[in-house]
Formats: sequence, structure tokens, C-alpha cells
Amino acid sequence: MWKQNSAGELRAEIDTVNSWHDDSLVPADIFRMPIKSIQPKSLPLKVSKLSAKATGFLFPEANQWTPPVSPSLPSNRKKRKRVANLQRHRIKPPNEVVKLQDRLYYLLQPPLDSLVGSGQLNFPFDPFPYQLDGIAFLFPRYAAVLADEMGLGKTMQAISTIRLLLCSGELRSVLLVCPKPLVTNWLREFEVWAPEIPVTAIGGNASKRDFQWRSPEVPVKIANYELLMRDKETVLDSGLHFDLVALDEAQRIKNRNSTTSEIIRAIPRTRSWALTGTPVENSPDDLVGIFDYLSPGYLKVGMPMNQMAKASRDYILRRTKDMVMDDMPPKLYRDAELDLTPEQWATYESAESEGVIQLEELDQELTIQHVFELVLRLKQICNFDPATGSSSKLERLVADMEEVTASGKKAIVFSQWVNSIEKMKPALERFGPLEYHGRVPHKKRDGVIDQFKHDPDCNVILMSYGAGSVGLNLQFCEYVFLFDRWWNPAIEDQAINRAHRIGAKGAVTVTRMLAMNTIEQRIASVLDEKREMFDMLFSEKDPSAKPAKGGGLTRDEIFGLFDLRAPGGKKVA
Amino acid sequence: MSETESPTIAYYTVVEDERTGWTGGLLLLNGGGRPLEFQCTLPVRPTKAHEILFGVTLRDHLIGEVIGPLLVRKCRTPIALLCCDQPESLKIETRTRCPVALVEEAALSDEGPIDDESILGSTRVELAGATLRVPMEQCERVQKLAAQLIDLPDATEPFDRIREAIREAQSQIARAQATRAQATRTQASHLPPPAAA
Repeated sequence: MWKQNSAGELRAEIDTVNSWHDDSLVPADIFRMPIKSIQPKSLPLKVSKLSAKATGFLFPEANQWTPPVSPSLPSNRKKRKRVANLQRHRIKPPNEVVKLQDRLYYLLQPPLDSLVGSGQLNFPFDPFPYQLDGIAFLFPRYAAVLADEMGLGKTMQAISTIRLLLCSGELRSVLLVCPKPLVTNWLREFEVWAPEIPVTAIGGNASKRDFQWRSPEVPVKIANYELLMRDKETVLDSGLHFDLVALDEAQRIKNRNSTTSEIIRAIPRTRSWALTGTPVENSPDDLVGIFDYLSPGYLKVGMPMNQMAKASRDYILRRTKDMVMDDMPPKLYRDAELDLTPEQWATYESAESEGVIQLEELDQELTIQHVFELVLRLKQICNFDPATGSSSKLERLVADMEEVTASGKKAIVFSQWVNSIEKMKPALERFGPLEYHGRVPHKKRDGVIDQFKHDPDCNVILMSYGAGSVGLNLQFCEYVFLFDRWWNPAIEDQAINRAHRIGAKGAVTVTRMLAMNTIEQRIASVLDEKREMFDMLFSEKDPSAKPAKGGGLTRDEIFGLFDLRAPGGKKVA
Repeated sequence: MSETESPTIAYYTVVEDERTGWTGGLLLLNGGGRPLEFQCTLPVRPTKAHEILFGVTLRDHLIGEVIGPLLVRKCRTPIALLCCDQPESLKIETRTRCPVALVEEAALSDEGPIDDESILGSTRVELAGATLRVPMEQCERVQKLAAQLIDLPDATEPFDRIREAIREAQSQIARAQATRAQATRTQASHLPPPAAA
């Protein structure tokens, strides 16, 4: 520090107290500093041992699947290569199966694709993927409607599922009920798709039938609807029980009060299947009739249509060709809107006006039958003028047939009346027409079809809706003419599907003949509404998304065709 | 060879789900690929502490030491060959007498390509168009079994069945829980309001 003396000189002095020297950095002494010892505390972090609980179940021994041994089917036991990203068709449990174990029973079954051709499930032809879906649908169901459009192979799907269920031990006795003309078809199909399964068609005298009904060594029995009426007592009251009853053309029981329906419903059974391409023909109540067989009381008459569609969805599988057949040729509709010939028109006008006057005169005695009679008379005039035989439809048909024949194709012509068919025939002579209707004896019918298939000079077959709409495979035809319209679009579809089915060679052109400004046009609009109803009931989409719409040709609608007042009812537009 | 003589083949996989936990399933099939027995666990839910302490070994522990051995033990039908799609399952071999194989094609999606280096000491055996990775010392035994399993349609598909079954079980559990919760809420809404203090 600096200090100034009296002489004013500055002097530097060392402040010994506050100054330090580098020597002082080195302690000359020992210093002690006590530190408190750290006492660690253990914090226990316990983790339990990881453990698991398991639960499980055995599959019933019966389901250990004994593959059918068939000498006619080649065994495929060579090593197969795995197909990557194979589309799987799995059996899915229906919603009605609730218990987890029961649901897992189905989910843990192998996909059908992997069984096909593996030596365990052989088919003479590769099934279409949608057919495997159909089998996967039927397999777990105790109540089911397979409602595929005609021609998609409902028979094959039913037979293959029955075969799987028989082989897995879930079924031991099956009763198949079908219309009489289809019995031989079912036998033939069983021979193709399940040759190892013993099948019998119930028939013959009473004692033979009684023996057939009771023979346990034949697991599949086929009976026709009419026969069930005769053998009612044996079927219902003799202690028979079927693991499955499957109905073909199940629309036969749509009328719940019919004797057939009552007998069918009373057959002792475990599973109930209905096969039909037309589960609804006239009104949604048709479906109630079928469900009374599947699950009585589940659907009720008069139920709102969207509610019915929702409730029945899990039980019904409905596919159309458009939905499933990518390679199916298209079906082209062509409405031939024709004006009647002057002769026809004159007859038609007078018949309609006179007929309506007569109906009105009947007043309270007027019945639906009277109206029907007038409708039929007018429709016949739309086909041919009764006095002169003049027909605008026939003129058009002949012109179209020229084209069909020139291109080397064949055509089917459908009409409601055999009389109309007979009137057409002379004008079509050069096209080699054949007839197939109720007046052709049964024994000759196969020959007619055979000739039509193989005779190059026969270019057209004239069929009645009644005889020709079911059970025939005419997929070599590319033209269908509906000379007149049937009351029911489902029947028309069945008729068209004779040609438009699996194996069809090319696009099928359907010509619907319609006499303009006549009763035919009015009926056509009602038929269109019916189609809409059908689409709504079996639409994949949520039915509530669409407004409910009435369908079917109701009593009022029939009277409404002539702007008549239904007795006891209000006038309908 | 009849069905009863053909060897059984078991499939084992574990499904990990953030919400429900780890669920294992074991499906025993006959030589034709049809189910004989199914065992599955309730979901195992490790705690946060387990996750921290086990770290990356947790998956190994659960699949190979907790769930797998339990399911194999519980299975009442003798297993001839155990197939898995997760390499962690190979450890089960120390707890069972049957050979354990990893199905390469099934493991591919989660594990990527499996080669000799990813599973040391293993060799390949073909089964129903798929490739099994098996320990070298088990090769001969598995080859013999594979030769007997010629009717097996698909060696990878059964894993899908187990996963589907586990999904079904989980959705049932979830539905049951939702129903219980709903019932509790309904019950609570019917209780008289608490008395004023």
C-alpha cells in the first residue's frame, strides 16, 4: 500500500495482515475436516414374477375329419407348393353362435381353399371362389337361406357342404326335399360332387318307401314335396329325426298355411336350410313363410321391410351373377316397345272398354278373378288379334330371328300361353322351331332339348314359362325373347337364366316385348316396382338407408290396372 | 397312413397389443391341418417396472419363458413338432421334448429375411411348401416328421387362425367389459343422491 510522508514523498509498505505470499499456499500444518458418513437407504422395488393363465379346449373327436376315399377321384398326395397371398375362404361363425368356444371352433377350422385339392377335399372341377364362400356360409349354420341367383350353383354348394358335414361327423342323416322333376337332377349332382356318399331317392310302393325312410345306412335321402304329403305319417310320427333338412326351391313353402308348409315345418330336425333363387316372389311376407320353417316367429307378417331385411341378413346369402362372375358374359336387356297393328288395336280398344263396363256393372259382385280374366284376354290380344291373327310382336320376332339365324346363333322364345306358341310356329318355320311346353309329353322333352342343342337347323325353341323356366341348361343360346311378360319378375329371371348361366358362350340379349299404351305397359311398371322391392330386401347395404317401398301386385293394384274401385275399398289410382 | 397315425403339429404365436397386453395361442393340428386342440392365455400385462427392469429382454422372456412353456405344458395332446413364427419361441426347446421350428415365411413379415447368421446353429427343412428353421441336431428328426406330414395343406396359414381366434377372444372380453361398465353406470344412476352435509 502507498503512504505519503510529511515531505510529500510516497512510500510503499507491505500490509502483513492482508497480504499473502506463494509460500503461504502450501499448508505448513495438517488440517482435519470431519465429514458426516452417508447412510444409504434401500428402496425395495418389487416386480412380481410374470406369469400367465391359460385356457383351452379339445375339438370333438368326431371332427377329426376322415377324408373320403373315392376311387373315381384322383388322390393328390404329391408335395404342393405354397401359393403366396392365397385368398382364404374361412368358415365364420354366425352371429347366433355366442359362446366363445363355439365361435373358436369354427374360426380354427382350416380355410376351404387349403383343403381343396389337398387330398382331403377333392372336386371334379375347381369351385369358383364365391362357391367356397357359400360353403363357408352354410357349414356353421343351423338356419340358412342360400338365395343365389339361378345358375350360380346352389346345388353344388349345398352338396359340398353336406359332404363336409357328413365327413366331419356333424351330420348323419340328411333329408333333401325338392320338386319332383328335380329329383334326378339332385341324384346326378350328388354323383358328380360327392360320389362317395350314399344317396337314395324315396320312391316306389308304400312298403318300399317305408323301408327307404328308415334305412340308416343311407345318410342322404331325397324326397319330393308331393311325396311328403303321402308319407306324412312316416316322416312325422314314426320317430325319424334328421340332422339336416334342406329344401330346394324353398319358395314352395312361402304360403305358411299350405299343407306342404305345415308338414315341412313339422319334420323333426336339427338344421334347416332353404335353397331358392327367388326367396321373395310377390311380397316380403313370402320370406316370413320361409323363416317360419327356419326359425318360427323370427320374422312376422307385416314387419317393416327395412326391419325384416336387417333381421334376416345374417341368415341369407344372396349373390347375383353380376356380383360374383367377373368372367360371366353380360346380360343385355332390350325393351321392344311396339305399337299394336291396327287390327289388334281395334280389337283391344273395344275389348278393354267393354270389359271395364262389364266389370263396373258387377259392382259389389266384382272379384279379383273377374279382373284377371279381363287382363288375360287383353294380354292375349296384345300377342295376336284373335280375328285376323295379326301380331306386331310376331312381325318383330321374325325380323329379329333373321338376324339371329344369320349370325349362326340360337334363341329361346318364352310365352305364357301354348296357344300363342302354336300361332307363332308357322311364321317361324324357316328357323326350325321346336316346342317345349305343357302339351309336349314328358318322355319327349329330353329329346326336344337334345335336338335343339345339336341340330344346326333348329335355331329357335318356343317355351312356356311353366315348363321351361326351371332345371334346363341352355347356355349355348345367346338370345332370349319374352313374347309376353309373366306376372312375376322372379319367374322371368328364371326363364332368362336358362341361357345366362355358367358356361354361357357370349353376351345374352334379352328382348322384352311390350305393347305400348296397353295393359302390358301398366303391368311392366308394377313389375319394375317388384324388382326394386327385391333389391331392397337383399341389398348388401343398410336397408335403413333406403326408404321402405311397397312391392308385389296387391289386390288394390290389380283393380288399379283398370282404374276400378275395389269392392268395400277406396278407389285406387 | 391313417389319420390317427399321422404326427401332430402345434402352432404357437403371441399377439402383442398395447391395450390388452400379450396373448399367446397354441393350436394343435392333425396331419391334415385340422384342429385337435386349442390353448390360449389370458392377456399378460407387464407393469412399467417389468418393462424397465427387463428392458429389451422382456419380449424374449414373455414369449420364450412365460407364455410358450405354459401353453405347451397345458396342451393335453402330445405334440410331435412345434412351429412358431417368432424367433424368441425357439427357447421353448429347453422346456419340451418336441423339436421347435421357426417357419421362415411366417416370420418374414416381422423379422425380415432369416438367414444362417440370424439363427445360429440352425438348418432348413421343407414342409408343405414352406421352410422350417430347426436346430441342426434336430434336423433328421424334423425331416422324418415332415415326410409324414405330406397331407398338411399349408405350413404358414395356421398362424392366421390363431391370430383370428385371439382377436375374437379379445373382442369378446372388450364387449363384456363394456357391458359391465354400462351396467355399473346404470346402477350408479339409480342410486339415491348423496345426502346433503
